[in-house]
Amino acid sequence: MLKITNLKATINEKLILKGLDLDIKPGEVHAIMGPNGSGKSTLANVLSGKNGYEIEGEISFNGMNLNDLKIEERAQKGIFLAFQYPLEIPGVNTNIFLKTSLNSVRKARGEKELDTLTFLKLIKEKAKELNIDEKFLSRQLNVGFSGGEKKKNEILQMKLLEPKLSILDETDSGLDIDALRIVADGVNSYKNKENAFLIITHYQRLLDYIKPDFIHVLSAGKIVKTGNADLGEQLEKTGYANLS
Amino acid sequence: MKQNYDFDIGKIKNLSQEEKVSRQKNLDLFYEYGFPSKQVEDWKFTDLNLILNKNFDNISNEVNFESSKEFKAIENFEHNFIFLTNGKIISTNFGHEEKSKILIEDYNQEEVKNIDPSNTLALLNSALSFGGFSLEIAKGYKFKKPLIVYNCFSQDLKNKILNNKNSIKLNEGSELTLIDYSDNNTQNNFIKNTVDTIFLNKNAVLKNVLIQNSKSNGHFYKYIKGSLEGDSNYENYILSSGLKLNKIEIEINLNKDNSSCSIYSALNLLEDQHQEIKTRINHNSPNCKSYQKIKNVLNDKSKGIYQGKIFVEKIAQKTDAYQLSKALIVSDNAEFDAKPELEIYADDVRCSHGSTSGSIDSDAVHYLMTRGISKKESVKLLINGFLNEVLEKITHNELKIFLEKILEKQINGH
Repeated sequence: MLKITNLKATINEKLILKGLDLDIKPGEVHAIMGPNGSGKSTLANVLSGKNGYEIEGEISFNGMNLNDLKIEERAQKGIFLAFQYPLEIPGVNTNIFLKTSLNSVRKARGEKELDTLTFLKLIKEKAKELNIDEKFLSRQLNVGFSGGEKKKNEILQMKLLEPKLSILDETDSGLDIDALRIVADGVNSYKNKENAFLIITHYQRLLDYIKPDFIHVLSAGKIVKTGNADLGEQLEKTGYANLS
Repeated sequence: MKQNYDFDIGKIKNLSQEEKVSRQKNLDLFYEYGFPSKQVEDWKFTDLNLILNKNFDNISNEVNFESSKEFKAIENFEHNFIFLTNGKIISTNFGHEEKSKILIEDYNQEEVKNIDPSNTLALLNSALSFGGFSLEIAKGYKFKKPLIVYNCFSQDLKNKILNNKNSIKLNEGSELTLIDYSDNNTQNNFIKNTVDTIFLNKNAVLKNVLIQNSKSNGHFYKYIKGSLEGDSNYENYILSSGLKLNKIEIEINLNKDNSSCSIYSALNLLEDQHQEIKTRINHNSPNCKSYQKIKNVLNDKSKGIYQGKIFVEKIAQKTDAYQLSKALIVSDNAEFDAKPELEIYADDVRCSHGSTSGSIDSDAVHYLMTRGISKKESVKLLINGFLNEVLEKITHNELKIFLEKILEKQINGH
C-alpha cells in the first residue's frame, strides 16, 4: 500500500529524514518509535503533504507517486493523518466542517454527497461509538476542547472518512487512561484486512492497546531497527540510548 | 476635472413654490462644495468626488418612478413587506400584523429641511429628495414577523442619482425587525443617497438589518440617524457585500438613561469593491450601553474602512461602550483602514476599543486540506467562520438561519 524508498526531507536547509525506507501492506499495523528530534513528526508531515519540505526519494501509495498529489487529494485517495496537536479553528462549526470534509472525499471517490439529515444521523452514531458528547459537534472546531476531546475528534474524523492508511501522530499524548482506551477501541474496531495503520509514538503504552505487527525505531532520520511487538517492551526497559 | 452635474429641482413633481425655494437653497449650497473629496476629514478614506469622476460621465436626477410593479419575494421566510422601486412605495403588505397598529405612507416631502450643512450629501438629499416612506408603530405593538423593505431599481438608472428619505418611528414599548433588502442586478452605474431617521421611544426595540442581495454597480450612501429614549434598544446588522461603492454612516444618540445600541457588520469584499462604515455613538445620558463589532474580509483589490467614534457627554456617567474591528486580509492588493476615536468628558465610564487585521491562518488551511477539502473551500470555510460570528447573538432562530444563508451567498460572491 505504502512504499517509501530512500526518503530524504529537508526543512529550512536542515536535513531531517536521511534515507528512510518503509513498506506497509494492507491489514498491517506499523509503529514508529524514537526519541525526540528523530524525525517522527516530519515523516507524518511529509506524508500529509505539508508545505515547506524539500523531498528526495520515492513515496508510492497504491501505485501513485504521492509527491504528485495535492494535500486534499491525498486525503481523498485514502491517507489520513491524526494530528499530534489538532488545531483550534475559531468560527468553524464542527458539524459543518465534518460534513464538508466527508462530502469532499465522497465526491472525489465518485460517491453521492450526503444531505444534512443523513449526515447528522451518521455522525451521531460515530460520535456515540467514541463516547463523544453531541454538544461538541455543534461547537467551534476544537475550540476549548480538552486534549483528550481533540484526540477523540481526530479519531472520529478517521472513522468518518474511512481512509486506507491512517497515520496517528502521538495520538496517545495528552490522553488519560480512559480516553486512551476509547481511542484504541476506535482504532481496533476500524482495523481490517484492507486498511493499514502507521502509529507514531514515544511510548509503549498505546501499543498495549493497539497491537502492532511491526515496530520500527527511528533515530537521526533513519530506521535503525525493526522488530515485532516485543521490541516495544524491550525499548521501554532499555531506552533508545543503547540502540544504534 | 469638474464633475458634470445635471441636477434640476424642476424635475421633481408636485412641489409647492415654497418647497422649491427651500430645496434650491440646499442645492446652491451643495454646488458651493460639490461631492466630498478626501480633503474632507470624514471622507479621507473614500474620495467620493474622485470615484464619481472616474465612473460617471454626468449625473442626473431625472428618474422614472412609474416602473415595474413586480418583484420576487423571499420564500420560506414569513414576513411583511414594503416594496419600493427607486425608493418610492409601490405596494405594502402587513398580512401578519394588526393593521390598525401600523402607519405607513409616502414620506412627507414638506418636512424636508436642511439637515446638516457640513454634510454635502445630506444637502443634496434635501434638495432632490423624492419618494421614501414613513413608518410608525403604535405604542406597545410588537411585530409578529419581520418587515422586509424591498429596494428594487428600474433598468434605466445609468448615470442617475436617487435621493430618498425614510422615517421610522417606534412608539413606547413597540418592537420591530426591519430588513432593508436591496436587490438590483443592473450593471449600470448609479447613485443612491438615502437618509433614514429613526426614533425609538421608551422601551422600544428595533432590529435593523441591511442586506445587499446581488452584485451591483450601485454607488450607495446611507445616513442613519437614530434617537433613543430611555430603555430602548437599537440593533443594527450590516450585510451589504456586493456593492461597488458603499458608505454607511450611522449616528446614534443615546438620549435617555439605559438606552442601548449595537452595530454588527460582516462584509466580504471582492474585486475593486469599496465599503466604508462610519459610526458615531453619542452617549448623551447616564447608564447607556453601546457595542460595535465590525468584521471585514478583503479579497482581490478591495478596500474596507471603519471609522468609529464614541462620544461621551460629561453628564453620561456609567457609560459602557465597546468597539472592535477585525479584518482578514486575503489578498496582497487589498486594503483596510480603521480609525477608532474616543471622546470622553465623563469620568466614570467604561470605554474600550480594539482593531486587528491579519491574514488567513495557513496552518488552519493545511489542517482542513488534510481532510480532503480543497484550498479554495478551506479558505471559504475560514472566512465563513470569521464573519458568521457576528450573527452569534441573534436569538431568533429563523432570522439567524436566514441571515446565515445571505452571508454564505455573499461569501460565494453572490
